[in-house]
Amino acid sequence: MTSPDVHALGGAYAIDAVDDLERASFDRHLAECEACTIEVAEYREAASRLAEGAWSVPPPRMREQVLARAAATPQLPAPGSRRGGASPVRRWRRLAAAAAVVGVLGIGSAATTYVVQEQRVSAERTAVAAAQQRADRIQAVLAAPDAALRAGDLSGGGRVTVVVSDTEDAGVVVLADAPPPGPDRAYQLWVVDDSRPISVGLLPAGQAQATELIQGVRGRAAFAVSLEPAGGSPQPSTTPLVAIPFA
Amino acid sequence: MTDPDVGSRGRGTSPGSALPRPERAEIDGLLRAVARGDDASFARLYDLLSPRVFGLARRVLRDPAQAEEMAQEVLVEVWRTANRFDPERGSGLSWVLTIAHRRTVDRVRSEQSSTDRMQKVAAASAQIPYDEVADQVGSRLERQQVRRCLDDLTELQREAITMAYYGGHTYREVSTLLDIALPTVKTRMRDGLIRLRDCLSIEVTR
Repeated sequence: MTSPDVHALGGAYAIDAVDDLERASFDRHLAECEACTIEVAEYREAASRLAEGAWSVPPPRMREQVLARAAATPQLPAPGSRRGGASPVRRWRRLAAAAAVVGVLGIGSAATTYVVQEQRVSAERTAVAAAQQRADRIQAVLAAPDAALRAGDLSGGGRVTVVVSDTEDAGVVVLADAPPPGPDRAYQLWVVDDSRPISVGLLPAGQAQATELIQGVRGRAAFAVSLEPAGGSPQPSTTPLVAIPFA
Repeated sequence: MTDPDVGSRGRGTSPGSALPRPERAEIDGLLRAVARGDDASFARLYDLLSPRVFGLARRVLRDPAQAEEMAQEVLVEVWRTANRFDPERGSGLSWVLTIAHRRTVDRVRSEQSSTDRMQKVAAASAQIPYDEVADQVGSRLERQQVRRCLDDLTELQREAITMAYYGGHTYREVSTLLDIALPTVKTRMRDGLIRLRDCLSIEVTR
């Protein structure tokens, strides 16, 4: 995916003015370009001074909240370390600290607080883990050696970009600049096998912009997008807005 | 806005930022301590970082409540991933603000369709974003310096960078909003950052 003008993207990349696919492509470029890595670090350093202009003091309550959340959040192990997270002793110490902070805020008895805190932390962890898993899968597809990028314009306006990897048997679809479908219509994503469409994703009704992970692309002939009633259809009920052959 | 000694554009004519920045060095040290799980260092780090992270989120999101939520998320992420900070790749402050900017921009983009955002910005583009930047630039020496350096950019470089950085726009959106060819926007962003970097005497060595 490296193109001759990839260097020119360094500035936009450093200030997050690129879309997800360009970012992934530039990440790969950086992995093999030491000079670019330094250049981007310098751009970011310069951009970070712009943030000084936005300096604004947050509400005081935020301090306790952040410190309590941090105390209940396990840290990533050092790169290369085989230790899986914080030691049990440290973890207990942190949970105790979290409970203590919440206790200071005066919500119920210490025991109740601790239980509530634990439940919240556990729910948060589950949500974070799911989001992380999805992000990892997307990253795996984008970084796959056989990842191939294809793009097409929707007949009603907008553009769809698809990166598929056979080895990952998955793809990443980015839909952008498409017209909003209205509250009772939804964009649906398909892969086509011997001209038989299989649904691989459905956007929420009314949504016109998405980054979706799709599964089961291996051996399929094409990818397509259609506009369907909210909730989706078992088979496309309208002519596809775009069809992109994989071959 | 025009100091006599910054009239000419070009490297070396603008005052550099050879300023010793004790806070910057302190942030680096605190991040290393936080990476070892030191809660007290994290509390101190919070005090140094929170106005910057919150301020940036607030500027980009334009909503204090959302900005607070975002700042919390970013600061907890700093605690969680402090081990990933590599001083050889830049300052700790830059590392944190890169995380903050990226997440905030992702939030803006996921919440509003790009058309909405572009219409909103197009409608307001007369007064933003540079004036806002300039207005908020206060008395701190570093801010004055950043402002001088921003003044030293061409108008197009400045607009392209501030629309992306404070507005969360992609270069494609900037291209549409300013009605300028895509490659030109890319180049202006890069050239502008190079000029800003040189003006601020930033160097990352490995």
